[in-house]
Amino acid sequence: MTEPHDSVILHLVVRVFMLPFIFVFGIYVLIHGESSPGGGFQAGAIIAAAVVLGRLTLGTEHAGHRVPTHLLTWFASFGVAIYVIAGIVPLFFGANYLDYSQLPLGWFNDVATHERTNRAMGIFIIEIGVFIAVLSTLVIMYDYLTERFQDD
Amino acid sequence: MKWVTLVFLGSFLALFVYVSADLPDRADPQAPANEYLAPDYVELTQEEIEIPNLVSAILADFRGYDTLGETVVIFTAGLAVLLVLMRGYRRDDGTS
Repeated sequence: MTEPHDSVILHLVVRVFMLPFIFVFGIYVLIHGESSPGGGFQAGAIIAAAVVLGRLTLGTEHAGHRVPTHLLTWFASFGVAIYVIAGIVPLFFGANYLDYSQLPLGWFNDVATHERTNRAMGIFIIEIGVFIAVLSTLVIMYDYLTERFQDD
Repeated sequence: MKWVTLVFLGSFLALFVYVSADLPDRADPQAPANEYLAPDYVELTQEEIEIPNLVSAILADFRGYDTLGETVVIFTAGLAVLLVLMRGYRRDDGTS
């Protein structure tokens, strides 16, 4: 379960044909969460599925170099922290908790080609936070469930 | 006993089928559930947030607290799994 699988065909199919497309699709679902079905939860689940698939075929040792286990708890906390901070920041600009319309994001419209409201950008920010939290949590569960098989 | 259960479940089924005739049609704008806040959500999404996806707007903006809670729940579940499965986990220096 944690060692690399022997089959060359499996490695080829997973590494060349499956993982890149799953990753790209997950990122697509994340950044198009405002204009099409999708969002942080779904994108997190998709990317976590890709990461777990990589761990199943390539082995935890190898795939773990790319998504290290010991950092995942930090990532999960970081994702929740993004959400909470995006809620706290408007408090300093005279708005309610989680009122994205007062987020100091006006400068973004100067550099971006497509003008967006503050609330749309706030939604995007918290979806990134949700994405990181969900992705890390699902991979944490897989890693610690299979950990006992690693040593012996 | 088995027949009692079957009769009990059958009567519940009949009750639900009977009651379902009184439910409003799906996507009925006059339904009670769609009259209170839903029109505001639909209008304010177009006016103030300006994104096409109504679901994202409700999930992340109008119901922001709810989604924050969901995220924390998932995070807590991950931490609980970690804490339960790390029992007996041995560090490299031999202490547990």
